[in-house]
Amino acid sequence: MWKPVHLFAFKKKFDFLGKRKAALILSTLINIVALLGVAFVGLNFGIDFKGGIALQARAKQGPAQLDELRSIVGGLGVGEVSLQEFGDPNTVLVRVQRQEGGPQCVAGAQRVMQKRAGPGWQVRPGPAGTGDVEFTATAALDGAAWRDAVSRVSLTIVERQLPRGTTATAKVDMSPEQRAEWCQQVAIKLVEDAIGDKYEMRGTESVGPKIGDELMRSGIWAVLATMAAIVIYVWFRFEWQFGVGALIAMLHDVISTLGVFVLLQLDFSLTALAAVLTIAGYSINDTVVIFDRVRENMRRYKKLGLIDLLNLSINETLSRTLMTSGTVFVAVLALVLFGGPVLYSFSVAMLWGVIVGTYSSIWVACAGLVYLKLRPDQLRPADDEAAKAKA
Amino acid sequence: MLNLPRWQTIVIIAITVLSGLFALPNLLPNRVLDVLPGWYTQNRINLGLDLRGGAHFLLEADLRSVLTERLNNLSDSVRAELRKQQVPFKEVNVEPGRALIVTLRDEAQRAKALEAIRAVDPSLAVSGTGDTIRLAYSDQELFRRKKEVIDQSIEILRRRVDETGTLEPTIVRQGDERILLQVPGIKDTTDLKRKINQTAKLAFHLVNEDVAATGQNIPATLPPTTSLVPTREGMQDLRRSNPKAWEEIQAANPRLTPEQICRRYQPQCLPVLKRVVVGGEDLDDAKATFEQQQGGRPIISFTFNSAGGRAFCTATRANIGKRLAIQLDGEIISAPVVQSAICGGSGIITGTFTTQQTQEQALLLRSGALPATLTIIEERTVGADLGADAIRAGTIAALVGTVLVGLLMFVAYGPVFGGFANLAMLVNLLMVFAGMSILGASLTLPGMAGLVLTVGMAVDSNVLIYERVREEKALGRSAFSSIATGYERAMSAIIDANLTTLIAAVLLFGFGSGPIRGFATTLSLGLLTSMFSSTIFTRMLLAVWVRWRRPTELVI
Repeated sequence: MWKPVHLFAFKKKFDFLGKRKAALILSTLINIVALLGVAFVGLNFGIDFKGGIALQARAKQGPAQLDELRSIVGGLGVGEVSLQEFGDPNTVLVRVQRQEGGPQCVAGAQRVMQKRAGPGWQVRPGPAGTGDVEFTATAALDGAAWRDAVSRVSLTIVERQLPRGTTATAKVDMSPEQRAEWCQQVAIKLVEDAIGDKYEMRGTESVGPKIGDELMRSGIWAVLATMAAIVIYVWFRFEWQFGVGALIAMLHDVISTLGVFVLLQLDFSLTALAAVLTIAGYSINDTVVIFDRVRENMRRYKKLGLIDLLNLSINETLSRTLMTSGTVFVAVLALVLFGGPVLYSFSVAMLWGVIVGTYSSIWVACAGLVYLKLRPDQLRPADDEAAKAKA
Repeated sequence: MLNLPRWQTIVIIAITVLSGLFALPNLLPNRVLDVLPGWYTQNRINLGLDLRGGAHFLLEADLRSVLTERLNNLSDSVRAELRKQQVPFKEVNVEPGRALIVTLRDEAQRAKALEAIRAVDPSLAVSGTGDTIRLAYSDQELFRRKKEVIDQSIEILRRRVDETGTLEPTIVRQGDERILLQVPGIKDTTDLKRKINQTAKLAFHLVNEDVAATGQNIPATLPPTTSLVPTREGMQDLRRSNPKAWEEIQAANPRLTPEQICRRYQPQCLPVLKRVVVGGEDLDDAKATFEQQQGGRPIISFTFNSAGGRAFCTATRANIGKRLAIQLDGEIISAPVVQSAICGGSGIITGTFTTQQTQEQALLLRSGALPATLTIIEERTVGADLGADAIRAGTIAALVGTVLVGLLMFVAYGPVFGGFANLAMLVNLLMVFAGMSILGASLTLPGMAGLVLTVGMAVDSNVLIYERVREEKALGRSAFSSIATGYERAMSAIIDANLTTLIAAVLLFGFGSGPIRGFATTLSLGLLTSMFSSTIFTRMLLAVWVRWRRPTELVI
């Protein structure tokens, strides 16, 4: 049998907080750059928050022709389109901006109807200011036939919206907002019709304008509520300085993670938000273990100066800190390498979160305790004496 | 600390074994599952749509238009009633989606006007002063009507989407005005979207009381005006007593006519006149209520629009004592006897109903067309092979992650301590699987990521303990004492560390949707169960080991 290897068995006498000024400058810089990046470059919001359409298509033969696809889909009149290879060279992720329901969407609906219901169909927008749409069929249709016809462009209608008896035209009344939501469906159909013969649709995601805004709002609430709840917990369990220190460390981690999203232009989706929240939780997890030891040592070494006390606590918990970061790191690394394209943004963000969470527990949270004067009377007896000697 | 009473050891082992038993059906191959009894294998983790493949729709009902339409109808009735009571008024206007504004010619007539309005609908909330009367539905009434529209839409969707009863769709209301529709394993959503838009065919027919056709005694020929239609109860009986016949009926292409079904499978049927008395499109509303007098039996009340009301009046006047069959999609849902002429545009169906039955019948009566436009505001469709790819990627990542973490623990803490920690990690995974099976939670791709993360984080408790044991050992404590003190002193850090992460996970569950909830589920379950596996379970292992080997010096 083998013997355990003390992976992190160094002398444990690092003067971590002696470098607190350098760390302060570094952390501040990273965060300012991250904030500037978020403000001026912007997060690469995915369709979850921005609304829009994402289609995963796989070429039926050979690798996906991105340039060809770009010109086909770009010419559909569905607004901004972006394409990227997704996972393997045969698969492409087609992203279409969120639809606002303008006149070109109605023109698109006409093309869909002509392809799917018959060449003679016409679709025209109603009066400006409304979202009304007027359909003209090639022959007079009754209620059931109308329903069936318009469902080819994913429109559901109710009795009230249909003309009485059999007619060849039907005016479907909608609010502009409803039309915008419906245009999402029209755009999906347009893309499917345009590339469907060469590509197989593997997955479709469509988030309408309304849901996008809502998810954004609830996402921001989730981040704020999580941070508040964690800080309150720490504040109750420890003294207030610990709560503030933990909060600053958590903000540091969350902001710098957002910076990584900007820097690498990773897709910021719902899963990415989950990563941010998990990082907030992990950041505190790491911090709290050190804080726990600080509290214990405060009772044990009543005379020790604050910096020595913190250094001692950090050193004592160091091998645990590194070991746990190590296990989480290898687990997340497995996700980065093998988890597939859907989880990629999430995993990369988590990888950063593990590193920055470990750093911030020491140099942000504990350094924060120094600046917050956890033990106001004595920072470091040696320093005090030196100061006295100078004077 | 290390001297566990026997009962504790038994409880710990029992929990571990039980978790293993609950988790096991998820891990066995299908071949073995087929042999095992169903009650044991049915509690398995559902795969989320992103792994299983399928379609997810969030539909929003246009309640405002529905309300406006109701207000329009109401304004007609109010106008008619005011005229009848000879209350002069300037106008009756609809404030779209909100209220009705009645402007009177003479302020002095206000009381009389209010009385007339109360006769139309006593539940309206009245406000306004002088010559204007503002009528709005009370909050309670508004809530009831919204709920009614959504419930009705859900019922219609269920009937439309799952005609064959094999798709297992999830159709639930979300919030005030939304419906979540999930159909696993479906590939073509075009067809699904078309089905959403179809209408059920509801119609009132008279029963031909001159033809005796019950059970087996179906006459070979019927009058040309009459056809046979199975009753809903009859069809349900058939489904229960003869599932094979039911399947044949569902699978038949082209679909069998009601009469063919009656003749071939002989469920309970009624001979009805082919002529439609009133069509479903003329039915405005139907609701379950209670009789005013006679002890308040549960009844169903319904309202027609004016055209429907007239037709219904003529038909009922001429057919008192006969049955009126209410036919929905080729099944008779009810065939009440006409007690009297029903001419006010509304009527009631009485019988020996339970409240639940009246509610169901009212819902069926309303199941003609969709009451409100449904707009797709979110759609996520995942092809089955894409789901399979995701499962493969997630599984590989989970396995690699677990192996790497396990290796790291073995290297750092040796075969004994590292081994115990790794055993605890496996027990933790089993417990998460068991927990998810019991809760009936869905495993999603982010959920798998949560599982991998849990593996990395759950060993943290053991790391905390072992590092503490090392410190205590360095202080010169005996083997036994360092383990005992290590556990004791690490506990506070373990609880703090797990609870803070748990807070984040639980809030994520609260705010998140769909797949993200899957992540929050596995992460929080994993953290909770790790409190058992990493501390209580490993402590038991160590206690047994210490007593057995009696080490003088700890190799950690």
